[in-house]
Amino acid sequence: MDDILSSILSPGTFNQMLRSATPVALAALGGAMTEHAGIMNIGMDGMILMGAFFGVWGSYMFQSAGMGILMVLAMGVLVGLFFALFTVQFRSDEFIIGTALNTFALGLTSFLSRSIFGTAGTKGNPALPTIHIPLLDRVPFLGAVFNDNSLFIYLTWLLVLAAWVFVYRTPYGFWLRAAGEKPETLRTAGIQPEKMKWLASILCGILCGLAGAHLSLGQLQGTFAENMANSRGYIAFACVIFSAANPSKAYLAALMFGFFDAIGLRLQDYISSDLTNIIPYAITVIMMVYVVVRGQQRRRQGHRVKAT
Amino acid sequence: MKNRDKGSYFASLALSVLLAFAIGAVILAVAGFNPVQAYAAMVDGAFSNVRHVGDFLEYAMVLCICGLACVLGSRVGIFNVGGEGQLLLGAIAACQVGVVMNGQSKWLVLPCAALAAMAVGGFYALIPGVLKVKVKVNEVITTIMLNTIAASFCQFLAKGPWKNPNRNMVAATGQLDPQYWFTTLIPSSNLSTAILIAAVMAFLTWYIMQKTAVGFEMKLTGQNPRFAFFSGIKTDKIVILCMLISGAMCGLVGMFRVYGVEHLYRSSISNQYYFEGLTVAMIARYDPVTVILLSFFFAILKIGAQGMELSAGVPNQIYLIIQTVIIFFMAAENGIFTSVQAGAQRKKARAALARKEEQSHG
Amino acid sequence: MRDTAVKFEHISMAFPGVLANDDVSLEIQRGEVFALVGENGAGKSTLMNILYGINTPTDGRVFIQGREVERFDPKTAIGLGVGMVHQHFMLVPSFTVAQNIVMSREPRRARFLFDNAKAEALTQALVEEYGLVVDPSAPVEELGVGLQQRVEILKTLFRGAEILILDEPTAVLTPQETDELFAVIRRVVKERSMTVIIITHKLYEVMAISDRVGVMRKGRLVGVKNTSEVDEKQLASMMVGRPVLYDQLQKTGSPGEELIRVDDLVVRDNRGLKAVNGLSLSVRAGEILGIAAIEGNGQSELLEAITGMRAPESGRITVRGQDVTGRSPGDIRAVGLAHVPEDRLSTGVSRSASVSHNLLTGKHREGRFNAFGFHQRTSTIQRYAQEIYDRFDMRGAGIDATVGDLSGGNMQKVVIAREFSFDTPVLVIAQPTRGVDVGAIEFIHTRIIEKRNQGCAILLCSADLDEVFRLSDRIITIYEGRITGEFTSFSKEEIGFRMTGTRQGEGEST
Repeated sequence: MDDILSSILSPGTFNQMLRSATPVALAALGGAMTEHAGIMNIGMDGMILMGAFFGVWGSYMFQSAGMGILMVLAMGVLVGLFFALFTVQFRSDEFIIGTALNTFALGLTSFLSRSIFGTAGTKGNPALPTIHIPLLDRVPFLGAVFNDNSLFIYLTWLLVLAAWVFVYRTPYGFWLRAAGEKPETLRTAGIQPEKMKWLASILCGILCGLAGAHLSLGQLQGTFAENMANSRGYIAFACVIFSAANPSKAYLAALMFGFFDAIGLRLQDYISSDLTNIIPYAITVIMMVYVVVRGQQRRRQGHRVKAT
Repeated sequence: MKNRDKGSYFASLALSVLLAFAIGAVILAVAGFNPVQAYAAMVDGAFSNVRHVGDFLEYAMVLCICGLACVLGSRVGIFNVGGEGQLLLGAIAACQVGVVMNGQSKWLVLPCAALAAMAVGGFYALIPGVLKVKVKVNEVITTIMLNTIAASFCQFLAKGPWKNPNRNMVAATGQLDPQYWFTTLIPSSNLSTAILIAAVMAFLTWYIMQKTAVGFEMKLTGQNPRFAFFSGIKTDKIVILCMLISGAMCGLVGMFRVYGVEHLYRSSISNQYYFEGLTVAMIARYDPVTVILLSFFFAILKIGAQGMELSAGVPNQIYLIIQTVIIFFMAAENGIFTSVQAGAQRKKARAALARKEEQSHG
Repeated sequence: MRDTAVKFEHISMAFPGVLANDDVSLEIQRGEVFALVGENGAGKSTLMNILYGINTPTDGRVFIQGREVERFDPKTAIGLGVGMVHQHFMLVPSFTVAQNIVMSREPRRARFLFDNAKAEALTQALVEEYGLVVDPSAPVEELGVGLQQRVEILKTLFRGAEILILDEPTAVLTPQETDELFAVIRRVVKERSMTVIIITHKLYEVMAISDRVGVMRKGRLVGVKNTSEVDEKQLASMMVGRPVLYDQLQKTGSPGEELIRVDDLVVRDNRGLKAVNGLSLSVRAGEILGIAAIEGNGQSELLEAITGMRAPESGRITVRGQDVTGRSPGDIRAVGLAHVPEDRLSTGVSRSASVSHNLLTGKHREGRFNAFGFHQRTSTIQRYAQEIYDRFDMRGAGIDATVGDLSGGNMQKVVIAREFSFDTPVLVIAQPTRGVDVGAIEFIHTRIIEKRNQGCAILLCSADLDEVFRLSDRIITIYEGRITGEFTSFSKEEIGFRMTGTRQGEGEST
């Protein structure tokens, strides 16, 4: 038992927490944008998968991880435009488009992967370097947690801050939130709310793409595997809901996911990995229920009718 | 749907399918395949052999029941995205019943297995259903999470406690005694007598939804739950009941896959089949008859694509691409159509006004 | 001769299937208060939306302060000095007053950052300049409707409006708030020589505030008068297109046994506040009890609790002698109650279903509509629906039409027809004629009185005070969830006073 505990509380667990949380956090930042703009975005899983694949593809084609990232950024913009074209321009059902986008991404990446690499996945392409901070390794526990990580982990912190400032401290953030909360307000002020929705959608495409790139180029050293997003897009969506689309709170929610994911990985030495895989997903369901119930208790509703 | 709507629906569906194949052809060409050869191989893959026909009929059954399960949920305003998990759990439960009851009469084992599959699938759908109704938790997230949980859990059972005694089988449960298998209708194909049960299920689902007072209440609940509740309908009960039945149907599909095709549980029981059924339901705009019809079309596409992969070396995922492109077109069709229509009506209104003015001046 | 502020030249506006404005020409002078009156759907809001750039007219020209409008969008209109206070406020509830007011012209620091302190300072300056007191840092969702309207007016002033359009501004205000609003209007007109256009259908307000009045009917401008030269009666005939004379409604019979009884009821609203706070009432057979209250004083929650749409926190509700406290709407309907809800769109109909299905709802389990108890008899249902359709004189697209496509009046008739055809001894009716044209109003009123004369106990609630006066046998006033007065002889002044004030000796609220 002590064995298990010390293994769980090792710096490795917390380092793993950061790594697992990062793709979810990046996607959740994107989801926060669309959520504020009033678009229900359940297509993030597909967006992540596209990012993961095109990152590896770019890296493979140009033999450079940097080019992979450029490719991801370009695809992110495209995917965001595509998503907005349907949800904003054509006013299609967001649920249908999101679900279809996920399946489309799964089909496209698997198809291309098999066509290009001949197999369902690929390994060993140029990956992103890890960042070594010179003096940090002298610090006992924290050094092992925070040092020698993929660039993305540090980048995510910056992006969380930037997203928070953008949403709550710039005029554009006010427009973004107005576009979601009461679009007519913006329209009568002379700003087209649709523009903000397009913007949110593109930002979401980029951020989800980066999340995918972190999975394939950062965390897994240039590897693509079929369906490697593995429902992280949905977990990110859950994080968006937990946090009421507040970027910093969304990051905390993602960290929590990362923590349980890391614990699961640690426990694999003791329990079947099939069971430990369940942990983060089960926690997500439990959190989902907890957040909603707490919200309701706060308001002490006497209302009996569904808000659907 | 009214007949006129149906006509325009099928017209835009046909157009979407054509466009999707065209886009598929472009993707094939970009990836270095000859689209004409690939599509020819696809047709071959579905029809060249009576065995393939059996396979696609079996797959149409899977798509149809999964699609109808999804329609049942959407009818009352709840999206059962968790059918995959319900299907897997139903499959493994039904399988284990057959393994444990080995030696008993098949007239006892098969009903027990079916009941187990429906109970487990239904119960698993009940969780998100109750959470949605009583706590108002978004069912899309919970069902997706429950899918992953179910898949991992079944994998655990198949590798651990319920593992096949044969050491070479890595992640599979024990095999069923051949006396319990559904009779194969077309030799060496996947098609079994299960399709007869499925046909009855499909008919009943359609009948209840479209022709009965309960179906009427379901429709009202989905259209405007507040109005339904106001009118005295027990909306909570009806939503939970539909979710239960939806899950039971998915569980039963799992049983069909085990007793009709695989004869044991392993992860190939379903490879995201429920999601393909859900896609069919979306393209059919949740209309039960259209779901049944389209199931055959997409089953042919899928089995054809698998044949194409074997004969022409084209990855079968082109099937998923074509299918989702059809959804995109169908989902956007309304948006494109209404914007074009609004423009036309505006023009017409202007013209009418101009005529009127001419008359008043002249 | 004063200069022209706004000039419409031969404006026509066609929407699919309807000509909302038909060759309207109108000039409005700088520094006047111009009232635009007309029934629902007469085209007043459409015309004003054109002025504010939300709609582009199909035909015709608009001049603002002498300049022709070439591009119809709100930005251009705002630039030309037009401000509009919409009937449904254009405010983001979670933003503060200041954040709402500066929207689209946010003060910035470091080029990209929103300067909240400056936004609040600017708002405060505006507040002081015009004497419209409101806290700049308060979130809008915490303000009452009167204050929200004030924020809307400040917003238009902040944007430099010289022409102010007010769309049905008094619909949600108390009489006191209306007086305050009118004082503000007079002040800005006098001191800043602003032009105010006020859309309304309350004729006594037209008389009270406007210099000139324009009357619209079916998309046409049928007359422009100096307010001092007309009276309410003349305006009413112009609006409707014929002399308006309300038939005296024939009330017969006398009250019988008590059918609705509410004891010491407490109900919370969606925000968890006590909307109904210790309220008791009783309605007897053959009588109409009218509720007079300003929107948001708990009357909605009261009716929802009685009909089972909302669970009460404490107290007791009895319908026909049976305790129905906290029961479901279905259970309460079974006791013998039918309910015309206040919001027909969200509660009263299924918009995507047909007229016949909407009429069938609630009766769909009855034996005559189901063979073997489960198979729906389509032809019987159609025949039944057609019969009701004819009886309630719904001139629309027929029983197979989708309810969402019907006009407000016909949609309301669907609701009334369905609820009245249950033939229940108890009726709870909220806003029976909201958004309904005059012809349909008369029809609906006659039906309600018919039900009363047949011996129904009717609880009636309406935002239209005249309607409450016309139909009720007895009136109670409700303020902040409590009854503040009960009347059998009606005096508008006294009832108005009780609607806005607390009862003597009871000042506290939740």
